Amino acid sequence: MATPAVRMFRRLEGLFCVYKPSGVHWKLVRDSIETNLLKVLNATPSQPLPQEVRFLAQPSTETEAPKGLTLSATSVPVLSKHPLVSGPEFQNIQVGVGHRLDAFSSGVLVLGVGNGNKTLNDLYRTRVTRDYTLEGEFGTATDDFTHTGGVVERSTYEHITQDKLERVLAMLEGANQKALLMYSNVDMRSQEAYEMAVQGLLGPEGKSAPILTGLRCIHFQPPNFILEVQCLNETQKYLRKVVHEIGLELRSTAVCKGIRRTRDGLFTLQDALTRHHWTAADITQAIRQYHSSKKHRKHSLSWDNLNYILLSTDSALIQSS
Amino acid sequence: MAFPFVRLCPRHVSTGLQVCSYATLSKASRPQEKSSAGPVFQYVGQNKKPTPKVFVWGFSFTGALGIPSFVVPDSGRKKPRKYQLTPYRLETAEQISSAACGYGFSLIASSTKDASKLWGMGLNKDSQLGFQRTQHSRHQSYDYVLEPSPVALPLVNPLQTRVLQVACGRAHSLVLTDREGVFSMGNNSYGQCGRRIVEDELMHLLFFSQVACGQDHSLFLTETGKVLACGWGADGQTGLGHHNISSSPVEVGGDLSGVEVQQISTYGDCSLAVSRDGQLFGWGNSEYRQLASVTEATQINSPRHLPLKGCGKVVQAACGGTQVAVLNDKGEVFVWGYGILGKGPNLSESSTPEVIPSTLFGRSQFNPSVAVTRIRCGLSHFAAVTDRGELFVWGKNVRGCLGIGKRDDQYFPWRVTVPGQVVDVACGVDHMVAMAKSLL
Repeated sequence: MATPAVRMFRRLEGLFCVYKPSGVHWKLVRDSIETNLLKVLNATPSQPLPQEVRFLAQPSTETEAPKGLTLSATSVPVLSKHPLVSGPEFQNIQVGVGHRLDAFSSGVLVLGVGNGNKTLNDLYRTRVTRDYTLEGEFGTATDDFTHTGGVVERSTYEHITQDKLERVLAMLEGANQKALLMYSNVDMRSQEAYEMAVQGLLGPEGKSAPILTGLRCIHFQPPNFILEVQCLNETQKYLRKVVHEIGLELRSTAVCKGIRRTRDGLFTLQDALTRHHWTAADITQAIRQYHSSKKHRKHSLSWDNLNYILLSTDSALIQSS
Repeated sequence: MAFPFVRLCPRHVSTGLQVCSYATLSKASRPQEKSSAGPVFQYVGQNKKPTPKVFVWGFSFTGALGIPSFVVPDSGRKKPRKYQLTPYRLETAEQISSAACGYGFSLIASSTKDASKLWGMGLNKDSQLGFQRTQHSRHQSYDYVLEPSPVALPLVNPLQTRVLQVACGRAHSLVLTDREGVFSMGNNSYGQCGRRIVEDELMHLLFFSQVACGQDHSLFLTETGKVLACGWGADGQTGLGHHNISSSPVEVGGDLSGVEVQQISTYGDCSLAVSRDGQLFGWGNSEYRQLASVTEATQINSPRHLPLKGCGKVVQAACGGTQVAVLNDKGEVFVWGYGILGKGPNLSESSTPEVIPSTLFGRSQFNPSVAVTRIRCGLSHFAAVTDRGELFVWGKNVRGCLGIGKRDDQYFPWRVTVPGQVVDVACGVDHMVAMAKSLL
């Protein structure tokens, strides 16, 4: 029979996303969420102790007839099942992390609880794109491509105009589009390759080098600029390197001041829980939302078609921004 | 990485053992001060203009690429490079404004007023690059020119005239200047050079705005929109109403009479003209269904108007050996004919225009307005330049002429990685020349 704690755990199984602040290791986030959930799970009122019938020897109060034990049946609680003996019901729960975010970046971090971890594995095996907002600043180059690193070189940036930046971004995008075609395993001489290229479905399956499927500048005020990036198989260090390389292409230098993930697959900033909402109640609600949206999606497609959804949500996001 | 450290503030050191110190933020977590000492480098000034560059690729043994070390290596340990499969920078003395690729040779021209404004490289057996005097004998010309060599034009005012455009055919070439008309060089056995079949004569003609060379015929477009043709006419490619050769340029009639033409194009045996109001006219070879929208015959010897459904206003046309491509004002590319047309291996011939989806040219959700601005045809391949400076090629990869790094044929538009923004491209049979400028 499932205890109330187990029933509550069943409600908690699934995927949800949190907003990871910058300066914090992702493991701390995962650990604090696990602690919060455990606290609530173990605080559920435990079931009353089961009773069992034991034949206990009654101590005879009279001094006569010392021989011959008289056993009487008594119902005693099973002490081995007492929480103080067996310990809390949940010692640890499996909280898994999706695509990791390093300490410098912030944004959407997908977590899965219990059975949701299996879904996490499947999700990251299909081709999932992520959206980032990169803030950069011209004029400096550092050793770890961030504004807090050791300065390697400083250079002028007065010659940079938005038009030149757009040209460099167009060149980078062209190179990445070509990389998308090169890493796909389809034979380029087949009709299937042409059909997929027209629909934009050609891409790497599984592991590959990081590829930026979309890149554009949304704010330009020298020395600061903000880029919106859509990428596959990336790491945040690679994105900082991209900012550095944009600076080099413009015959100047650039550092990355901040990376913010705005979307990871189908989880967006709107669904992300901020620090004050890392409680079991909010997480349960987020997971319920995820399950209901999954039901809507399951009606019309399978995991293979997830790419269509991702591409169309990308376009919807860009049109709405 | 910097280690966190605690800095003792000297002001608070008081007498005695009591030292009041406080920890400041470690170096790693504090943003760098802007006023730290160190030189500030300036790599470019504010008025830097983009540098013009020329890239070549394809089959190099004819010398058409203009890089002698591919044919005759500098050191004995290196091997000759027969196919240059990716763009290679060609160093030129001046900024090149016009280039043309013929069958095994190329001409590049600069719009300068200096004495040398036209260079040729490649096959010169028919003197298509002019007379290239050898070192040993004054009366002999080189058969293969491996490096861009100046072509001497007999100009009346060599320091005032500029070269506007060059065009190359199978064994002849045409040079259009701004004040002195058109000069032609090369094989004139079919009258394609526009002079009567007499050797060593160069003739001035009317005011022209464009010249185009087919395989063995030439087309001239005047500033008023009239088209003249001369040369081999067995397929009717001269459009003069007969199938004989024409040794001097004669005005083309047919459906083109009274029409103002803005662009002409030819490379094989089929010719096309685009009028100023966006109509397309064609004549010549139609064995590959290039002109099938008006006729079932295999040749037309007089220009006919081609009614193209769904193409809109035609802005540019490009004609290859067996295939045709047009560009409309919205930047869409339509192809038809025979061969690798660009819509996968299944479409190998079409007699009606087929549009190539713009997603193949880089249009995506992030860039919804990418349009093609130039379309060119080689003998069996296509090239398209977009407004973002990207070059797309597709078609038969004859001896590596596509420049995509492999020798396989390409069945749909593929980006060529050129270090710079491509401005224009010239396609030949087995090589290409691209004019680009640097990004910054």
